[in-house]
Amino acid sequence: MRITSALAAVAVLALVTACGGGDTGEPPGGPGEPVKLDFLSLAWQKESVAANKAIVEEWNKANPHIQVTYVQGSWDNVNDQLVTSFEGGDAPDVFHDDSPALAGFAAKGYLLDLEGKLPAALRNDIPQAAWDTVTFDDGNGGQGVFGVPFLQESQVIIANKKLLDEAGVRIPTPAEPWTWDEFAEASRKLTKGDTYGVAWPMKSPVNKVLNLALNFGGTFFQTAGGRTTVKVGPEEKEVLRRIHDQLHKDRTADPAALGMGTADPLPGFFAGKHAMLPAGVYLRQQVAEQAPDDFAWVTLPPLKGTTSHQGAVSQTLSVSADSEHQEQAVAFVSFFLNGRNQARLAKGDWLLPTSREAAADPSINGEEDGWDVATASAKDLVVAPFLKVNGYDEWKSKVATPVLQEFFANKISLDEAARRLVDEGDKVLERYQR
Amino acid sequence: MWALLLPALVPVLIFSVGPLLYGIAMAFTDAESGRNHVTRFAGLDNFARLLGDEAFWQSMRVGMIWAVSVTALQFLASLGLALLLHQRLRLRGLARVLAMVPWAMPPVVIGLMWRLVYHPDAGLVNSTLGTDINWLADFTWALPAVIVMGVWSGMPQTTVVLLAGLQNVPAELHEAGAMDGAGTWRRFWNITLPQLRPVIVAITSLDFVWNVNQFSLVYVLTQGGPGGRTRLPMLFAYEEAFEYGFFGYAAALGVAIVVVVLALLGAYLWRQLREAA
Repeated sequence: MRITSALAAVAVLALVTACGGGDTGEPPGGPGEPVKLDFLSLAWQKESVAANKAIVEEWNKANPHIQVTYVQGSWDNVNDQLVTSFEGGDAPDVFHDDSPALAGFAAKGYLLDLEGKLPAALRNDIPQAAWDTVTFDDGNGGQGVFGVPFLQESQVIIANKKLLDEAGVRIPTPAEPWTWDEFAEASRKLTKGDTYGVAWPMKSPVNKVLNLALNFGGTFFQTAGGRTTVKVGPEEKEVLRRIHDQLHKDRTADPAALGMGTADPLPGFFAGKHAMLPAGVYLRQQVAEQAPDDFAWVTLPPLKGTTSHQGAVSQTLSVSADSEHQEQAVAFVSFFLNGRNQARLAKGDWLLPTSREAAADPSINGEEDGWDVATASAKDLVVAPFLKVNGYDEWKSKVATPVLQEFFANKISLDEAARRLVDEGDKVLERYQR
Repeated sequence: MWALLLPALVPVLIFSVGPLLYGIAMAFTDAESGRNHVTRFAGLDNFARLLGDEAFWQSMRVGMIWAVSVTALQFLASLGLALLLHQRLRLRGLARVLAMVPWAMPPVVIGLMWRLVYHPDAGLVNSTLGTDINWLADFTWALPAVIVMGVWSGMPQTTVVLLAGLQNVPAELHEAGAMDGAGTWRRFWNITLPQLRPVIVAITSLDFVWNVNQFSLVYVLTQGGPGGRTRLPMLFAYEEAFEYGFFGYAAALGVAIVVVVLALLGAYLWRQLREAA
């Protein structure tokens, strides 16, 4: 009882302060008072956080009437956090996220449609393929542009230079990349003693596999008559089978790496236990930072199946539909993502900028740390087909993640995996199509 | 009379009864996240869907395995610890304080700590046992690993309550038993346990309810993975509500869990009380 009374006291106090605050608090942007914006950033690498904060500071200095507050978020829980803050009405004015999340938010009406609101310079600096990754249904039968795409990721291979040279394999170049067959062959040559040719960290296998599946034209989803269903045919099975073969037939891939997240195999990679590490371009940052001084590594370009196409999603900045200062928020986004700033952000996060101006920036085109290979891989990025699938998130975590994990652990066959991806998957998608 | 009760009653109504009724009401609607969605009364739709939802049943299975084994193991381990701490040991005060340490830690810290314990490369478990298992990512081992952590983190409450119960067992009974030639084991079985019975019933029931509703420990440790092997009912409800945005369905889930817990608890208490009578 004492606790309840204490709670009551606290509640009453809170109410009193809340009411009091309402009267004397910030006026609604009257003349002379600066407009205040909250910017939720998900930058987490040290250089990237620094770049983000520096750009915010430059903006605040140049625009005394629009003051932006940098708010630190985290990729781990940003979407849960945003859903609750959209529903609760206190969402940040501008926020950083990625395009798969925007698809859902756009359909629910949480986001401001930016079509026609962005300056032409920014609009033209970013290619249409990137805009396609942020163009979604608005949930009312229309289409809109619900974010500005700025960073993209391609899948490359980070390799131990010394082991490659010793095995005498051809070093691929962006003009002449390895095919998947050559990759399998190289893995065989690199596997000897304690060394595995490759480590496939498959703790979160779905996006990785789906993006790579495009190498053989695998899309995993098909839409007919307004209904989207899961499809796992010969094209989709190709990459699945090749990775599985490396693990369980050729035995050139380390089975212990399967349960790992992308960065977890790094100690083994530095110790020469794994010769190659398929990973997103951003992993180069950790390699460059953590590798022993005498460790030589190279970035190999994306593999080629029938094409080198990879599915791409974008990191994005969006404006909440609930923001009270939409015009100012859009102006801030346009400044934040101009060519010069994008080059700084890309450099800070070791990712690929969407801006053409930024992509030409010398700071992200040198040979050092594989920037030339990484930046060149941007040309093969196409919109990931799963991006426009409503319910993809749930399919991914409820169906695809466990099925792929069991498949790669050799607990179920490829046909069984395919059957479950489709049957269980269609059931999940169904409730989003009513 | 009423007026005097009011200050205590109002917060209960506002913070406890209100949200509860709101949640129950929501279970009968198709509430979803999003501004384009108009919430409608949906009758028993959500409950019908629950019955046919394979993921729900899997999560209930996981939840029951978790709640029953954590409660049982917690009880056995705590009883042992309480008996030990009840003895006249040297440094008994210090030992009692140490046994309370897990209680002082927030669940998030416990989760992070155990993540290190289970770390595949640098973890305590692998280096002690000489194994090479990624405990939290292994389909077979994830749930047992999480259960061990659950037992550890819940032991202090149970131990304290049992210890208090032990101290209330009249010493004369033990003396009389010893006089009549009953050994330690016999005295434990025929004197300590029956005397402790009301305490045991109370603490195991409470533990069971707490364990069914456990969220933060497992959320920090595994987020319900791998492949839903540790997805407790509350994690499932959280996912439905805040990841997929199906508020109504998640509320129905909550109601279903309350019903299941009440039914199980009712059966348990009814049996125990009948036997005691």
